[in-house]
Amino acid sequence: MTDTTGRQGDHAACAPDRLEGTLPSHPKYLPLVRAITVEAAELAGIETETARHLMLAITEAWSNVIRHAYHNAEDQRIDFRFEASPGELLIEIEDHATWVDPSRIASRPLDQIRPGGLGVHLIQSTMDDVAYTRNEHGGTTLRLVKRVAPAEDPTS
Amino acid sequence: MKITHETEGTAAIFTVCGQVDMHTSPELRGSLRKALEGRATPLVVDLGQVSFIDSSGLATLIEALQAVGRYGGKLRLCGLAPDVRKLFDLARLSTIFDLRDNRDAALK
Repeated sequence: MTDTTGRQGDHAACAPDRLEGTLPSHPKYLPLVRAITVEAAELAGIETETARHLMLAITEAWSNVIRHAYHNAEDQRIDFRFEASPGELLIEIEDHATWVDPSRIASRPLDQIRPGGLGVHLIQSTMDDVAYTRNEHGGTTLRLVKRVAPAEDPTS
Repeated sequence: MKITHETEGTAAIFTVCGQVDMHTSPELRGSLRKALEGRATPLVVDLGQVSFIDSSGLATLIEALQAVGRYGGKLRLCGLAPDVRKLFDLARLSTIFDLRDNRDAALK
């Protein structure tokens, strides 16, 4: 049976390799974000070393949203999406604040030893593609892509 | 994250356990500040039980390194797990910090 939205049956379809959700912008949820990331990576067949890079990149990106988009407000929404496809894992992090010019959170030269400015460097050095776009809510969407070697089929 | 603090002569030893990120690094910064105010040296931070550290944790340690330098003290980090050590390499901080294998080596 097809309803007026074109969906089959009584329930909305849900892509099995896409995880999405929303968490408050409180930094206490960072361990939960990392736990979701590592589980999503495992489900996508990503090996442990790469999964650790993903945990680091998403922690840095999430922290930047809290700091730069929400100015440390703890009650704003951060939307996330993980989508696994053959050869890559896509992660999107979306805020509902105002557009943050990526140059405002630019990386510092690593030969300058001072606190701060490392987060963007860590994101860029652990992910294959990093792109900031303005989203439909007027905020910023960060799109992170990690390319991975396809898992070998154990039955072949 | 949990932090325990001991002293041994002029040395201050902090043992950090768990995950250091934007939520927990202010607590680490606050703990280290007290030892820095007392001009402890060497200031030893045992990271052997740290499973994750991000740029805010690294920034906290850089601040401490700069603070001990201002009074001529030493900061030593010890016990880094391989994954944590890799992060120091990634941030090109492995040669900036005095990294020791364990607490005994850090106190020598």
